Amino acid sequence: MDSGLLVWGVSGVLFLVGGAFLVLRRQLIAMIIGVELMINAANLALVHAAVRRGDAEGLAAALLIIAAAAAEAVVGLWLVLRRLRDGETAETDSLRELSG
Amino acid sequence: MSAPWPIWVLFGAPVAALLVGYFYCHQRCPERTHWPILASCAATALAALWLAFQVYEGAGWDFIVYRWAAIGGFTVDFGVRLDGLSASVLAMVCVVSGLIHIYAVGYMEGEPGTSRFFLYFHLFFLSMLGLLVSNNYLQTYVFWEGVGLASFLLIGFWYPKESARRASWKAFLTNRVGDIGFILAIFLLLREAGSVRFEEVFARLGNITPGMRMTIGLLLFWGAAAKSAQFPLHVWLPDAMEGPTPVSALMHAATMVTAGVFLMARSMPLLESAPPVLAVITVAGLITAIGAAIVSVSKRDLKRILAYSTVSQLGLMMVAIGTGNLVGAVFHLITHGFFKALLFLCAGSVIHGLHSSLHGAVSAGVDDAGGLGRDLPYTGGAFLVGALALSGVPPLAGFFSKDLILEGALESGHGLAALTFLIALGSSLYIFRMLLLTFFGARAQQRGPKAHAHEPGLLMRVPVLILAVLSASAGVFGGTVARMLGFQPPHFVLGVAVSGTLVAAAGFGVAYFLTMSRPSFDWEWRARFPWLERWLECDFGWQKATDAIAGGGAALAHFVAGAWESRRWDPFTESLATGCVQLGEGLSAVCRGRLNEYVWWMFVGAAALAFTVLLCF
Repeated sequence: MDSGLLVWGVSGVLFLVGGAFLVLRRQLIAMIIGVELMINAANLALVHAAVRRGDAEGLAAALLIIAAAAAEAVVGLWLVLRRLRDGETAETDSLRELSG
Repeated sequence: MSAPWPIWVLFGAPVAALLVGYFYCHQRCPERTHWPILASCAATALAALWLAFQVYEGAGWDFIVYRWAAIGGFTVDFGVRLDGLSASVLAMVCVVSGLIHIYAVGYMEGEPGTSRFFLYFHLFFLSMLGLLVSNNYLQTYVFWEGVGLASFLLIGFWYPKESARRASWKAFLTNRVGDIGFILAIFLLLREAGSVRFEEVFARLGNITPGMRMTIGLLLFWGAAAKSAQFPLHVWLPDAMEGPTPVSALMHAATMVTAGVFLMARSMPLLESAPPVLAVITVAGLITAIGAAIVSVSKRDLKRILAYSTVSQLGLMMVAIGTGNLVGAVFHLITHGFFKALLFLCAGSVIHGLHSSLHGAVSAGVDDAGGLGRDLPYTGGAFLVGALALSGVPPLAGFFSKDLILEGALESGHGLAALTFLIALGSSLYIFRMLLLTFFGARAQQRGPKAHAHEPGLLMRVPVLILAVLSASAGVFGGTVARMLGFQPPHFVLGVAVSGTLVAAAGFGVAYFLTMSRPSFDWEWRARFPWLERWLECDFGWQKATDAIAGGGAALAHFVAGAWESRRWDPFTESLATGCVQLGEGLSAVCRGRLNEYVWWMFVGAAALAFTVLLCF
């Protein structure tokens, strides 16, 4: 089996799993994990494509995304921590202010 | 040749003065806004005189300062062209502007909003400079609009007055009508010659068909006719007298309205390559000059007499352009700038002196005046100098310039010369009528000043004195102007000079007979022929016709706005808006406040978007 297909497949499965986490899990930390999975799925595809094309643009983009993902994780976890400190739960059912 | 630094003074000083004037003085000390502006006037006047002298000595500049945009071969440039034409007119404009700025300090003292006045006034001055030194049609057009804007703002300076607001709109809209011609001419030049730069356009005239040259020339004249108040677009200038007198003097007499003549002089190579255009200009100039001279004789308001006189003199300059007499037109433009500014400033001094008798009116008529020579000897003397210069009595300035135009007309034909002499007769008649009615003898119908009218202060008297000296002596610059324009000094034709002087004397004689020998004539004919006065009041009916045209346009606009906009178009746009609101309200049912659902809808949206993109590309 072509190794490229394997990488694409892993990337796609990671993306879908991450998406499923986001849609199905009701815990905020689990949702953040889902986001991380999706980001890394995209990164994997990006690095793979860059290597195949033989240029550095994809690699540079992947590095930038890692930095952005780290920052995003910090902000997300801090928000969750704030809620827990205020004595709230980290369940999405407790966040209903966004209803239209 | 690299550009000398006075050229930068020409723009730098007014721009700096306006910035300081607006951002510092206008905010902190509005009673001193004129200080930086007067300093800028002094600097630009010196720079302009120095540059004019350099050009007289043979220098000349034509360069691009800043390329604003380039689209293919078409460029939008800010350039400077200083040749004999722009340098000579520039010198006159800067000197007259400086003097009128000083006069305005005295005239506007105690008025509310003087700070705003000086900023507008100097904005006009800056635009006029940009117009004069421009080296392409597009830049000319931009500053052409700039002076038009300043004119609009200053005619409506006393905006609480309904008549001032109406006059400013009339001026602006009439000029827009002319601007259409100007901008169409620029478009055609761009298509036919591939450039809007003067020297390139004139070098490529041979590539343009005669019919197209004629079209462009006529469109340019259409634009110039609006700015220089030529029939049929002259209607705005008399109403423009609603502005303060220094505005009338500087913009609506000495400088801005001559921009049209300047444009024609600038386009002379183009016009000469299309003789029918020259004929049209001559005829329009003749109609304007004769008609305005007749109307001027019938007017009672001091500033309106002078306004129609300006229209008439501009017509005379157009006649000179039409006969190919470039030196005559430009020289008359310059001398007219001096003596018409002088006459307007004297009228301003009269209004200023009569202030207490006018009950707050901003202008005075001959009914308010009468025998003012005793109270205002200084102003009366200066007005006499201006009147002599205007009517063309030797050796004052107007004699030499009018003489040149008469000679040019004589070369073109005896009929034309006879009509031009008629204009000269008319100008002598109306100006001496005004002089005698205002300053000499008191008539039973004239109210005169209640208390003694007073002479204005030094700030207003000194500019008048300098302008009087210039009006008397500017005739000596005839040879200078001719040389700067690249012509031989004008030769002196004794017959024309003598007959011109005789015509001026005849005009004086008639005016003397009608105002002094029969003092009440001016009121008698009005009582006996009221229809004639009404007819002259609306410029032989033309003012009424333009009012009808403008009124028709306004009625059409109202109809379209009422019948189409509000009944047909508004319901459609409103239903679009309410539809959007309803759609949003319906979709908001989806938003139940569950984060996971939102993520789900996000995925659905992204998938739909990706699917659409894949499908379309």
